[in-house]
Amino acid sequence: MTEWIISILLLIGGSFVLIGSIGLVKMPDYFMRLHGPTKATTLGMASLLTAAMVFFSTSQDALSVKEILISIFLLLTAPISAYMMIKSAIHHKLDSIERTQGKDNIEDDV
Amino acid sequence: MTLLWIPLLSLIGSIISSMTGKLTRNQSTSLSLLMPFIALCITISFAPAVFSGEEVRETISWIPLLGINIAFRLDGLALLFVFMIITIGILVIFYARYYLSSKDSMPKLYSYLMLFMTAMLGIVMSNNVIQLWFFWELTSISSFLLISYWWYKSEARKGAIMALTITGGGGLALLAGLLIISNIVGSYSLDVILASRELIQSHNLYEVALILVLLGAFTKSAQFPFHFWLPHAMAAPTPVSAYLHSATMVKAGIFLLARFYPALAGTDIWFIIVSLTGMTTLLFGAYVALFKHDLKGLLAYSTISHLGLITLLFGLNTELATVAAIFHIINHATFKASLFMATGIIDHETGTRDMRKINGMWRYMPYTATLAMVAAASMAGVPLLNGFLSKEMFFAETLHQQLLGSMSWIIPVLATIAGAFSVAYSARFIHDVFFNGDPIDLPKEPSEPPRYMRVPIEILVALCLLVGIFPNFIVDDILTSASFAVLGGYVPEFKVSLWHGFNLPLLMSAFAVTGGLFMYTQRRHLFTFQASLPPLNAKKAFDNSIYVMIKWCQRKIGAIENGSLQRYLMLMFLIVLLGAGWPLFEMHELVGTKELTPVSMHSAVGAALLMIGAISTVIWYRTRMVSLLMISVVGLMVSVAFTRFSAPDLALTQLTVEVVTIVLLMLALFFLPQRSPKESSSMRIIRDISISAGLGIVVGSICYALITRPFESISNFFIANAKTGGGGTNVVNVILVDFRGFDTLGEICVLGIAALGISKLLINLPLFMPGSDSEGRPWARERYPILLASISQSLLPLALLVSVYIFLRGHNLPGGGFIAGLITAIAFILQYIAHGSNWISERLTINYRKIIASGLAIALLTGVGSWFFGRPFMTTWFDYFDIPFIGNIELASALVFDLGVYITVVGATLMILAHLGELTANAPKEEVNI
Repeated sequence: MTEWIISILLLIGGSFVLIGSIGLVKMPDYFMRLHGPTKATTLGMASLLTAAMVFFSTSQDALSVKEILISIFLLLTAPISAYMMIKSAIHHKLDSIERTQGKDNIEDDV
Repeated sequence: MTLLWIPLLSLIGSIISSMTGKLTRNQSTSLSLLMPFIALCITISFAPAVFSGEEVRETISWIPLLGINIAFRLDGLALLFVFMIITIGILVIFYARYYLSSKDSMPKLYSYLMLFMTAMLGIVMSNNVIQLWFFWELTSISSFLLISYWWYKSEARKGAIMALTITGGGGLALLAGLLIISNIVGSYSLDVILASRELIQSHNLYEVALILVLLGAFTKSAQFPFHFWLPHAMAAPTPVSAYLHSATMVKAGIFLLARFYPALAGTDIWFIIVSLTGMTTLLFGAYVALFKHDLKGLLAYSTISHLGLITLLFGLNTELATVAAIFHIINHATFKASLFMATGIIDHETGTRDMRKINGMWRYMPYTATLAMVAAASMAGVPLLNGFLSKEMFFAETLHQQLLGSMSWIIPVLATIAGAFSVAYSARFIHDVFFNGDPIDLPKEPSEPPRYMRVPIEILVALCLLVGIFPNFIVDDILTSASFAVLGGYVPEFKVSLWHGFNLPLLMSAFAVTGGLFMYTQRRHLFTFQASLPPLNAKKAFDNSIYVMIKWCQRKIGAIENGSLQRYLMLMFLIVLLGAGWPLFEMHELVGTKELTPVSMHSAVGAALLMIGAISTVIWYRTRMVSLLMISVVGLMVSVAFTRFSAPDLALTQLTVEVVTIVLLMLALFFLPQRSPKESSSMRIIRDISISAGLGIVVGSICYALITRPFESISNFFIANAKTGGGGTNVVNVILVDFRGFDTLGEICVLGIAALGISKLLINLPLFMPGSDSEGRPWARERYPILLASISQSLLPLALLVSVYIFLRGHNLPGGGFIAGLITAIAFILQYIAHGSNWISERLTINYRKIIASGLAIALLTGVGSWFFGRPFMTTWFDYFDIPFIGNIELASALVFDLGVYITVVGATLMILAHLGELTANAPKEEVNI
């Protein structure tokens, strides 16, 4: 039973990470590319960590909570990194294509 | 232990007197006199034993494996010198109390004098040649400090530098000589060396060793042609001259001759070199002394001349000559010290030392004049005084040598001439200063000095008289035991007495006295003749040679060290390439016998990434940011590799170090141009690529050769003993804090020193701060984005929690003080990045220097703690305890040590980064707003 749960979680996580990576390569401009590694991959990592938690909790006869801490770290830092990256992209006035949304919200930084 | 206390007390005295700045002059003097006085009492307590022929020895083993011990011995010769050094030292300290003006710092002089005393005591009592040499060098350094006591005078500084250069150079020669001798004998112990005369003298390096040791002795004792530093050292205050040039500094060279006499003397080369040098110095010094108008200059050359006399006696091939030499050492010390002190009084009272101005002092200071005249008469060798006795012995011994074969009769003749000169300059000292009309243009009206300023001279002059009238009564014991030590356990029959009957030496004395007096009366002609000689300026020649040498060195150094880091790296790599590459050609097979492990998919991918990262770093090195990113890939892959090969501690360390390094480099890059222009020529690129490729090939080959061969390491010992001996299952951590704790202590010290050094270098460092990036874009207006600031703040407690966790589990699971320290440091660095250093310094008012210091203190004290349980330094202890709510846990003293490591790492890392970051905090803001 646990093996099933772990496998499913691993698969879900794996596909998220894969999708995020594909997005990183395939998306047409910087602003879109950023979505892949920050959103999809973070979710994938959370899923992988849950799998790890289940695995260690069942195999070591004690509840393993370290993974929760790691997830918190990840969920706290990933958005901030994304935010900082977008900020510098705006500052650098990187090119974007027509379809990129939300450009009207950009305030002029300089 | 008592023997050790003699030099130790004088050292303690030096420290004590340096702290008496707030006390009155009398208090300072009495405090300073205390320690040498106790040392003198200790010495006296040893005297009966030494007189009865015993040699007192004391050894503290220091590095027994290398045969290096702290060893002292006290035989007759050492006892004689210890007596002289301490007694005259005490008198000089007492005298200086009245000599120094209120402007001069008394604690400074006393402290230097006692340091010098320590050094001299160390030389004469050492029983280990390296230790002897160490104290020898200490005399050079402390005499440098003493001569330059009036540091604001140019001649004092120059004289000090000259003395240091000459005696220091001689010290190097001495070291070489001593090392050769120890190598021949196979021991550093003086006992062994002195007992191996045949072995040393039959060795074919004997001549080299002898000349090197003699160089050391001759430079120190101001023998011709190294004599010229001594007159220039007269720029020192007179008490210093009285001490350095009567009983101590210059006598150190003589002591060396006496000390190594049993081992080195007895050969023709010894006698030729030593006697000829002594003879030349004796004549030269006596001749020049006559023409000096400066009182101290006269005494300086007379000192040179008397040192030449003693050296000559050591070079005469008779045992009685050696006895006479030792006797003259005592006599010269007494009359020369008193003469210097009398000169000091005259200088003090008249304000000048020029004998052309100082005349007729008899009327102003009759008492001092009497004392000075007695001492000067002793210097001239007038009967009833000690100088007469040793001079008589000297004349007698010059008659008993066959050094120059059929021309040996020249030596007594020359000795008589030198004696005449010494009578002449002594006569000048007496007549010119105390009589000879009235004083001319004195800066001060002279009078008798303070009562107690004369006491040291009175004591010394009384000694001169006592020894001169009752020689057997006063000096027999010490002279016998000192000669016993120098002659190696054999003392010839000798009788020091006032009256030997009418004989040849007496006739020579008579000739010398009448000749000298005649010479003095006819001095006008001599002075005219001397004035017609071409001037010989030793100082100028010395300065020139030093200048030429410095220029030459600068050119040579400039050729290698031209300030280009790339060049240094290239030279270092080339040397490594040669040193490490050469043995590879002598190896027959690169691949060893060990089976290769199969290459897995993971390893291959990791290795490929590692290589790609490394190569990309080089390719994009001109775009520095990209290069930095690439190098972080390399660091990350190394960390992954550690994990793969089961080294989680290393992986964690690598990861945290990587983070710190990247932040550091980012900060440094801020000050550098973001792109570097293309500068290297094609030839240069080819050269650099060849060197780096060669180095890569060599290092790679060595690694490959090493890992394909079976080799025994000590890892198994650590793995087997980590739990039982160190109480931890994490072998890496147990090694760091327990097995190799001493290494770790050294490493954190280095880390602390490096951090302090970096922060000192960064303070007020003027750096160009770019107002915009390379494409002309100004920096972002929002320096510290609020989102980043608040999130990083909330991350801080979490990060600290993690570091505590990593720290506590370190002994048994991957972690430990070093990693935890880095994690804490990173957590704080994030705050610096998010808030800026101004924001932090308002809230975190901790001094990183103190953090480093307390970390080191904790680690050190933990190590020291084991002493209280009678264990060696850094012995660890652990046990298991039952603690309510927590359970059975292990407590180890290593954990406290690890805490020290943790604190030091945090302090050092933050100190470096915070200081570098502070430089960027003040980046120009005006330009940002344009």
